[in-house]
Amino acid sequence: MVHLASGTSVSERLQPAKPALSWVTTAARIVLAGVLIVAGGLKIGAPALSVQAVRAYQLLPDSLAQIVGYGLPVLEIITGLLLLVGLFTRAAAVAGGVMMVAFVIGIASAWARGLRIDCGCFGGDGTLAAGQDPEYLWELLRDLGLLVCAAWIVVRPASRLSLDSALGFTGERETTDEDDSDDAEDDGA
Amino acid sequence: MSKRTSEAARARIAAQREAVRKQEKRRRVTMIVTIAVVAVIAIAFAVWSVRLGASEKVAGGLAPVTVEKNGTVVMAQPGVTAPVVDVFEDFQCPACKQFEETSGSTLKNLAAEGKAKVVYHSLTIFRQEPTMGNSLRAASAARCVTDGQQWLAFHDKLYQNQPSETAPGFTADELIKWGKEAGVNSADFETCVREQRNAAAHQQLSDKTMSEQKLTGTPTVKLDGKDLETNVAFVPSSLRAAVEAAAK
Repeated sequence: MVHLASGTSVSERLQPAKPALSWVTTAARIVLAGVLIVAGGLKIGAPALSVQAVRAYQLLPDSLAQIVGYGLPVLEIITGLLLLVGLFTRAAAVAGGVMMVAFVIGIASAWARGLRIDCGCFGGDGTLAAGQDPEYLWELLRDLGLLVCAAWIVVRPASRLSLDSALGFTGERETTDEDDSDDAEDDGA
Repeated sequence: MSKRTSEAARARIAAQREAVRKQEKRRRVTMIVTIAVVAVIAIAFAVWSVRLGASEKVAGGLAPVTVEKNGTVVMAQPGVTAPVVDVFEDFQCPACKQFEETSGSTLKNLAAEGKAKVVYHSLTIFRQEPTMGNSLRAASAARCVTDGQQWLAFHDKLYQNQPSETAPGFTADELIKWGKEAGVNSADFETCVREQRNAAAHQQLSDKTMSEQKLTGTPTVKLDGKDLETNVAFVPSSLRAAVEAAAK
């Protein structure tokens, strides 16, 4: 997954060769991090609601809905924090991107099946209030936009204001693909 | 001469290798420490979240439960009139089932401790089949139960056996069976359920309650007439804290 972006080698891409572009990555990090932290923060305080919001999609068996209901807010917050401080940036962006793909699939499938639910993205139990209509299109566009942010970061993980460079996880060293996939495994688990 | 040069060069190369090795080692240690810190934070969040979601156990007995003439059901110790916790719920609504599983025991305990008067309002919010029929059958059957303790046991049974939103359920046979399991022993119960004797009365009360209380969905939980946020209602410790604060 890490490799599909372009033909250039990873070590080249990790050098912030074009300063302007590394600032774009910083901006993408902040946008994605902000949304993930807010979304996770609004859900983590009421796990029973979060579980209910997952059930509203009628996609997962109950035991899995429980795990996702409890686990997703934690995953969102951790991923968001990592992106915010720029730590294991690429792995965190992969995790964020995978979440966005899952959300897009979930929302699109709810829409296709004619369910009338709230996406539960920012808390709530997934039910719409009386007289409220689903906002699937807006929810999909938002998540696709965030997916673009995640993809950008995966392609160009080197950015300004990041702990990765401060701690020497990127930059001078001879970066190999192997090291990077290590990061992804450790973090994605 | 040339030998000494090559020795010096070799030493320099060794020193460089050593430096690279040390740098590499330092980087690796930093990475392991960082991963450990991230893991600890993630686990802390997860543990905190699980504890927040944990339900209370029904510790002792229940407070007396009374089925009122208008169809609402009151659970309170004698003389306890405040704070009032109103629960507006629909037996067919999945979020109501979730609320019951999460916070139902907290309400029972609060009532038993004399810290709250809990009022259950059974509604039918659905307007389409099969959910509307399911909800109507269940709620009108519940109105066939006149004993409070039996009503509460039946109420819990209905949530435990809630059908899917896409299939007809809560059949008369099932309702009668669960009623008997809940201890309902009145001779009239079976007939009352089969002919849905209370359907019209239930529907009328449901519609009236929804418009009077300006309800937008179920479950709605009100504390002394004010909507409780779902973030409070669905978190047992927060629900308890809110009710106890209102008692002061």
